[in-house]
Amino acid sequence: MKKLFLFFVLFVLAGASTLWAQTKVITGTVTSAVEGEGAIPGVSVFVKGTTIATSSDVNGRYSLTVPEDATTLVFSFIGMKQQEVNIAGRSVVNCVMESDVVGLSEVVVTALGIKREKREITYQTQKVDNAELAAAQPTRAGSALAGKVAGLQINVQDNSVNPTTQIILRGLRSISSDNQALVVIDGVIASLGAFDDLNPNDIADLSILKGATAAALYGSNAANGAIVVTTKKGQAGEKITVGINASYTAEQVAYMPRFQSKYGTGWEGAYDAVENTNWGPRFDGTLRQIGPTWPDGTYQAVPYAPVKDNLLAFFNTGNNFNNTVYLSGSHESSKFYVSVGDQRATGIVPDDSYQRNTVRVNASKKVGKVELSLNSSFFKDETDVVGGTIGSQDRPLYWFLLNTSANIPLERYSDWRNDLYATPDGYYNAYYQNPYWAVGTNRNNSKSNRLNGNVQASWDPLSWLNVTARIGTNTYWTSGKNWRAAQTYDPDLQPSAGAVSSFVEDSESQSSEVIEDLLVTGSFEFGNFSLKAILGGSNYNYIYRYSQIRADNLSIPDFYDISNGTGTPTVTADASQEVNFGFFGDFTLGYGDFLYFNFSGRNDWTSTLAKGNNNYFYPGFGVSFVLTDAIDALKNNDILSYAKLTASNSTVYNDLSPYRINESYSKHGSFPFGAVNGFVLSGTSVDANIKKEKLNTTEFGANLGLFRSRIMIDFSYFMTTTSDLITFTTPSRASGSTSFLTNIGSLKGNGYELSLSGSIIRGKNLSWDASLNYSSETTVVKEIYEGLDEVAVTSSGSYGIYAIVDMPYPQLKANTYVRDPQGRVVVDPATGWPLQNAALESMGRTTPKHIIGLNTSLKAFGFALSTTIDYRTGHVFYSQGQDTMEFTGRSMESVSANRQDFVVPNSVIETSPGVYVENTNIPVQNGRQSYWTDTYNDVKENYVIDATAFKIRELALTYTLPSTLMKNTPLQKVSVGLIARNLYTLLPAENAFSDPEFNNSNSNAIGVGGYFQMPPTRSFGVNLNIEF
Amino acid sequence: MKSIIKFAIVLMVTGLLASCEGYLDVNTDPNNPTSVTPDLVLPVGQYYTAQYHSQDRGLSHLGNMMMVNWSQSDGFSWYTDEFKYNVTSNFYTGVFNNTYANTLKQYQILFKLEDPKFSNYKAIAMIMKAFHFQQLVDCYGDVPYTEALGRSLEATPVYDDAQAIYEDLMVQLTAAIDLIKAAPAMALVPGADDAMFGGNMTDWIRFANTLKVRILTRQSSMSGRGTYITAELAKIATEGHGYITADVGVNPGYIALNTGKQNPMWNSLGWDESGTKTMNYNATCATAYVLNYLSSTNDPRIDRLYEKPGTGHLGVPQGLLDYDTPVADQYMPDKVSNIGPGILKAANMDATIFTLAEAYFNLAELRDKGLLTTGATAQSLYESGITASFTFLGLTAAQATTYYSQSRDLVNWGNSPNKLKAIITQKWIATNGVTAEQSWFDYSRTGYPSGIPLPLNYNATADRPVRLFYPSNEYSSNGENVPAQPNAFTEKIFWGK
Repeated sequence: MKKLFLFFVLFVLAGASTLWAQTKVITGTVTSAVEGEGAIPGVSVFVKGTTIATSSDVNGRYSLTVPEDATTLVFSFIGMKQQEVNIAGRSVVNCVMESDVVGLSEVVVTALGIKREKREITYQTQKVDNAELAAAQPTRAGSALAGKVAGLQINVQDNSVNPTTQIILRGLRSISSDNQALVVIDGVIASLGAFDDLNPNDIADLSILKGATAAALYGSNAANGAIVVTTKKGQAGEKITVGINASYTAEQVAYMPRFQSKYGTGWEGAYDAVENTNWGPRFDGTLRQIGPTWPDGTYQAVPYAPVKDNLLAFFNTGNNFNNTVYLSGSHESSKFYVSVGDQRATGIVPDDSYQRNTVRVNASKKVGKVELSLNSSFFKDETDVVGGTIGSQDRPLYWFLLNTSANIPLERYSDWRNDLYATPDGYYNAYYQNPYWAVGTNRNNSKSNRLNGNVQASWDPLSWLNVTARIGTNTYWTSGKNWRAAQTYDPDLQPSAGAVSSFVEDSESQSSEVIEDLLVTGSFEFGNFSLKAILGGSNYNYIYRYSQIRADNLSIPDFYDISNGTGTPTVTADASQEVNFGFFGDFTLGYGDFLYFNFSGRNDWTSTLAKGNNNYFYPGFGVSFVLTDAIDALKNNDILSYAKLTASNSTVYNDLSPYRINESYSKHGSFPFGAVNGFVLSGTSVDANIKKEKLNTTEFGANLGLFRSRIMIDFSYFMTTTSDLITFTTPSRASGSTSFLTNIGSLKGNGYELSLSGSIIRGKNLSWDASLNYSSETTVVKEIYEGLDEVAVTSSGSYGIYAIVDMPYPQLKANTYVRDPQGRVVVDPATGWPLQNAALESMGRTTPKHIIGLNTSLKAFGFALSTTIDYRTGHVFYSQGQDTMEFTGRSMESVSANRQDFVVPNSVIETSPGVYVENTNIPVQNGRQSYWTDTYNDVKENYVIDATAFKIRELALTYTLPSTLMKNTPLQKVSVGLIARNLYTLLPAENAFSDPEFNNSNSNAIGVGGYFQMPPTRSFGVNLNIEF
Repeated sequence: MKSIIKFAIVLMVTGLLASCEGYLDVNTDPNNPTSVTPDLVLPVGQYYTAQYHSQDRGLSHLGNMMMVNWSQSDGFSWYTDEFKYNVTSNFYTGVFNNTYANTLKQYQILFKLEDPKFSNYKAIAMIMKAFHFQQLVDCYGDVPYTEALGRSLEATPVYDDAQAIYEDLMVQLTAAIDLIKAAPAMALVPGADDAMFGGNMTDWIRFANTLKVRILTRQSSMSGRGTYITAELAKIATEGHGYITADVGVNPGYIALNTGKQNPMWNSLGWDESGTKTMNYNATCATAYVLNYLSSTNDPRIDRLYEKPGTGHLGVPQGLLDYDTPVADQYMPDKVSNIGPGILKAANMDATIFTLAEAYFNLAELRDKGLLTTGATAQSLYESGITASFTFLGLTAAQATTYYSQSRDLVNWGNSPNKLKAIITQKWIATNGVTAEQSWFDYSRTGYPSGIPLPLNYNATADRPVRLFYPSNEYSSNGENVPAQPNAFTEKIFWGK
């Protein structure tokens, strides 16, 4: 690190030397080309290739001190064409600015890294640049995209030190196949993991290809749209810039579940000193024993009163240091960008820590007609977190917290090794151990590395011809060690505790993707016609290996090596490989710069399907029509700056995973017994004629620019039909299988997206930009197969996520109350207990029907305030946390009737079949406790919660020092910022537990979460960016 | 530079063109075979047979809860659904789901073997299928049978009539016996891979005959079945090999202190692979009723069926809510009688799926009813049943004789005016802890043993359930075929009507 620093200092000095040159002053006025508009204030004026800049005042005048040898001034203003003016020998330079149709001349990076002007693109894309992405200094790019792109749903799965993010574009369109967006980094297919492992500061911009029509050239990977990441390259004409971006954020629990605070430790109304549950008598403040009585007769006593925030006190403030040092520049025909990132974090859970380093080297050099480039990143991280299988019941940590009763001063038990009352034998809770002990005796450690990058050669043999070849790789290897310490208990002190067995688990995995692309691009013009033709081939090779070995019941305590286990270690070793290749062509025929037709086709051959049935053609076509250029009356019009309409359609197919076409056997985990081995037929049966699933997407779009593009409107409407779904259906278990892999039925999805962005205020020292993204999407299951109208994606038996015919997918089902036709709850006339329906019922969709994102950026006198807000609604989720709190008696509902027998409100009894009489006098039996724990808690409908959430996701206030202050220093840019993430969340009243975005699984089983995730957090911090 | 480009292009084009057939030939799973020999399939099937019968919340566990053998210690909220008789589509679904999707799946692979070389394996599969399908019918009534186990060819099998299944099971058992007898010399005989009889095919024939008797006994309370039963019993007599002579258990080679390799009941209800007492062991204890019944009949089996704490035997009424009245902590695990040493014998004990005692009691019932007219007398069979139960639990034949020689109703044959009641009551004790589901079926069929209490507090039903609900997943995955759920308390299986 020291050497690196020295290296940067040298560069800084080299850079600073340029400032000692001679200078001169240039003045002038900036006016608009449009008659009557006159002077334009706020135009940025700078010396090309430098950061020497100023802006025009209210009268359009400017004055700038420039080096003697400066040759060109650049004038730039939103909505205007950027102009470069030669200043050689001039001291007064006036500039007339012309309105620019920004929206359409913008270059967009599309599939396979192909750059196109926006006007010729026949589908909808959205771009997020680094300033928008990294405003609040996120540690993961994915989480920072939330609210910034219409049609994009980001689900942050948890708040751990190394969080997982789910990225979904335009909802779900497959029941069993992956629905997450494809990630492409610098033109080459990568993975969500690679995206998470990027340093967000290295990202230049992201282009979001929202649907299959945009991504069609990726063949079977295209179905879910794509996030095309371009990393920073080092811009031409720039001198060397050295920068440091440092940030620190503190993370704390944002909010805890809502707990009752009237009743404490006990069972069935009686005080019990060792209970995990809160079914004791009402709090009375008296001093009572908690925990066991020691042989000498002593015991711990605490007031029988609620301890405010007793669980919150368990959590720490997490620290996150995130530093990036970068070097960017160019020299003649070469460009480069190098960065080193370092992130160190400690979590809200005691002892959780995470560290990662990223190194990026991007370089390119032009040699004659060939440009060679390298884009590469290396990543390594180290995670040390609490284990997930704690205690004799293999529970997650949060479970132990939730099973701590309201009158327990939890914080007091942190010294579990020495403090008698915190030790496993002395801890108050007979059933669920001290969480501090859990943290100290259960650890998951992992180390991983990733090399992601590509080398590319781009050759222009003729002015109209380009040949590009690329080889990329995404290689990941990781090793982990998870362990748990054994624990036995003194049977007199802890008669109910289950002894905990020890284990150590070593795992290693490697995955490697190698992708080769070849593209030949020809551009032709004949009169008003233009043709851009791309022919190419692509080859994809994926290899995966995984091994795990686990030893149980270790002989030597605290020594975590496989050799230390007793019994036979459990060994798993797995490998898989997938190969596919394809040829493609893409033709864009243009007429007069305003009408474009696109035809594309790709043919893929894949290793994962049966021979003879393993190649697929992916056709796509689209049209783009620029009204404002086609119709004379609309040209150069200041109200409607531009208007473009698009329509496109494409068909893509989703692949099958390797080895899925044959049913196979696997060794039964308990075998061999001596010499007798045993194999078990897979639970999954497979359709002998399995094939790819087909997706057809049609999209219509409009892009409008108003008032010199100060307001931009992008709209799209899309329809997706997925048929021959490759689905793990749930057959009757009586068929001898638990899952049946087949092509079934169809899904139909449609939705629209609206992006509205504009410069509300545009002045010299004050500007305010805002953008609003709205999207709405619904996918409905049209058919499954005869005799089957639903498929479980995941199910506990009493609730689960399903695909159900004629219902939006994914759908949450749960067991429900029996209700009369008026919707009143039917109770048992003998017990007063509500009756339950035998079958589960649909409770609603689990992906939002509406997503609204609002971003604003307010700039004034060097200050910039940017905010990202999002709102999601129209969906539900299953709150496992609230479910758990019912049993422990800490839920608000459990005190709603003061723990007395009561008449269920709005209930009826069925006096004869179909006749319902209002229940006014039959109270529930056992309202003291067992009604709640055994009846109410059984009706899972009670835990289906509105998943609506309003979040202020990001808030950043940045101050950039004026360049005048840095005139005689080597500094080029200094900015300091205050940043906050997940500052505020507003949830519906019925959500008493946690963030509805948290989810147990990263799969299509969206909508089940709770105690496997820690409470939600918010972060505050500071950021410093210095460039030399 | 051009040469580099050329090289790259050549490399790529070659790469793509080399994609003749071989290039894509990487779809053979290196981890999992697509075919295996029968000796690798059979032991897994038997392993499952034992596991889902004997382990925690297995079929026998259900029987133990229904028949008031077991209850719950203080500090646990383990058996609420059982005490509530909360028979819903989520209650003990493993009986249906695991039996079909794991156990029978394995046997069906063997059943489908057509090569005469495998006729012994096939016959074993037929016998085990009959064993399991009878249990399914006994729990659910109509179940998928003729179209069951078709995997990808029949994802939604139809449900067959319970009695028709019963009748076909008899046919299948006869066919299995014939197959064994007709096996060609070259037919493979299982060895150690047969975890039940070690490849002794005569034992398999005897087991088949014994199963037939169980099937017939179950129908012996129905009117109009006498002729059928008599005829079937005659076929068994003609066949000639007779019945089992020992308890039937599964033991692939259970071994102590090894993950997944201990006896499943020991492992989940006794001591786990680290030798640690499981929570289930602590949670599970005797009912006050059963302890009182055994002690009041001077039954020495009490100390084998239940662990005796230093403070003496203590049971907990099922459904108790307030454990601490009048004495706090009176029902803590160390103070109550947990599952005893005659049931939890050792980590490597056989997983018993059919007791010799039951075989005798079934014959005794048929003999007593006059449906079986040859062989030992009903009294002798009854007393042999008691003796087999004593022996199974680690007691002696002499202790059994002492016990059944007491002049006491439901103990001594002569002192029992209602012979059926005596047989079924003794079967209740003999199946306690081991194959208690049989006693539950008997209770639905005969109402015996009489006087066993309902759980406290929880339920408003007149009596215990007589069947299980089809699992909820069956409604979602096979909705067109699964029948409307019959009432779990009133609609008995056909043999109980």
